[in-house]
Amino acid sequence: MIRGIALFASIYLVLVAQEFIPPLPFLGGAHLILVPVLFCYGALWLSFPVMLGLALFTGLLSDLAFLHVVGDRVEIGLGWSMLFYVLLGTALQPLQPLFREGRWEVHCLAAGAATLSLLLLQYIMVCLRRGSFFFDWTVFWHLAGPSVLALLLAPVVYLFFSLLPASAPGRRRGGGLTR
Amino acid sequence: MKKLHLILLGAAVLIAVVFLSFSSERMRSWQSGYLRVSSPALQAGSAISGQVAKLQKGLKTLDQLEEENAVLTAQNNELRAASQLSGDLASENQRLRSALDYRERSAFKLLPAQIMSRDASSWWNTVKINRGFAASVDAAQPVLTADGLVGRTTTVSKDISIILLLTDENCQVAARVEGTNEQGILSGQRVTGNASPELVLNFLNRDANLQPGMKVFTAGVSGAVFPAGILLGVIKEFRARELDGQAIVEPAADFARLEDVFVVLGSK
Repeated sequence: MIRGIALFASIYLVLVAQEFIPPLPFLGGAHLILVPVLFCYGALWLSFPVMLGLALFTGLLSDLAFLHVVGDRVEIGLGWSMLFYVLLGTALQPLQPLFREGRWEVHCLAAGAATLSLLLLQYIMVCLRRGSFFFDWTVFWHLAGPSVLALLLAPVVYLFFSLLPASAPGRRRGGGLTR
Repeated sequence: MKKLHLILLGAAVLIAVVFLSFSSERMRSWQSGYLRVSSPALQAGSAISGQVAKLQKGLKTLDQLEEENAVLTAQNNELRAASQLSGDLASENQRLRSALDYRERSAFKLLPAQIMSRDASSWWNTVKINRGFAASVDAAQPVLTADGLVGRTTTVSKDISIILLLTDENCQVAARVEGTNEQGILSGQRVTGNASPELVLNFLNRDANLQPGMKVFTAGVSGAVFPAGILLGVIKEFRARELDGQAIVEPAADFARLEDVFVVLGSK
């Protein structure tokens, strides 16, 4: 319960905080993207219904934070990230037993892969909207940089949430999938 | 997967599809609502970020002083720090004076605003400013500095507006080159590696005689967002392509150090 609430709150706070983190020059000007790292933790920890709630919440906030409207044209409409996080969370749920056994590297790999998939899908949609596609080293770093950083920062997120109590004192623990 | 889980998954997908069916106007209004709700958090973040930047600036100066003056006494350090502080104030004073002066001599009715934050996404170049419809800001209004055009407003909430920067590929401006009849469309690039990237001026005559250093201004075509005569940048390079000519333009505004901007509310 406490961890779940902390996850919801962290996702909002991280979305706001990310705007004040400057692009990283050593990664070709790529940005630090932490939301998928937090979501992956939630998808591997929370029960299926709560994970779906977190996916809709994360997707809606991400879309609202990055919605790009020029005139009457929207590049990536409201709802795409919700769909992405719902499907990502559903795909990660079967790995929950492994994660609950303490296999923290599952979260690491999931966070890196999720960040890469999210950015790649965004880039493909932007290219389709703008009618041309190109790929160079700058694009590569904008995809690979945040994904590698997500992979590296995932253990910190894991450690932080592991230190939080899973549920309020006197309450039943957990609530995720059981083996 | 349990039957209940499948039903819940279907419901979640349906919710996402409902949001996807929204019109652009409705999406903009949701975003405006989000900015309104997030306004206190964004303002607090902006204030903290400003303090951290000041602190970093101070620490860097102290580091430099230590390197350069290892043998100076504590009193000398104190005097140098005081001198640095007054230097910062003088520089800030100068910046604000020049902004005020520009506002007074400009032909436009300008609203001063400050940059609060930059877009954290990888594919778009936008910033948020601390002015919204409460200060008469509307969507699709030009934003500039004393140096040149910065961009245009897109989503506007009560106290915060999003500015689409000139460095974004989607921000397209009809432009003309000083001293010639050459006109083209200026825009940013899709993915850039730094905060102040070069712009591209497309659809020029392939045999245009454009030289580095020529200034590029807004053309101000009828019905366009940008009025004529705003400086956009300086030509750095011209290349003839198969069908047209393309110029690489260095932006007039320093996008890496944007702090104070003006929203053009209309003519004076």
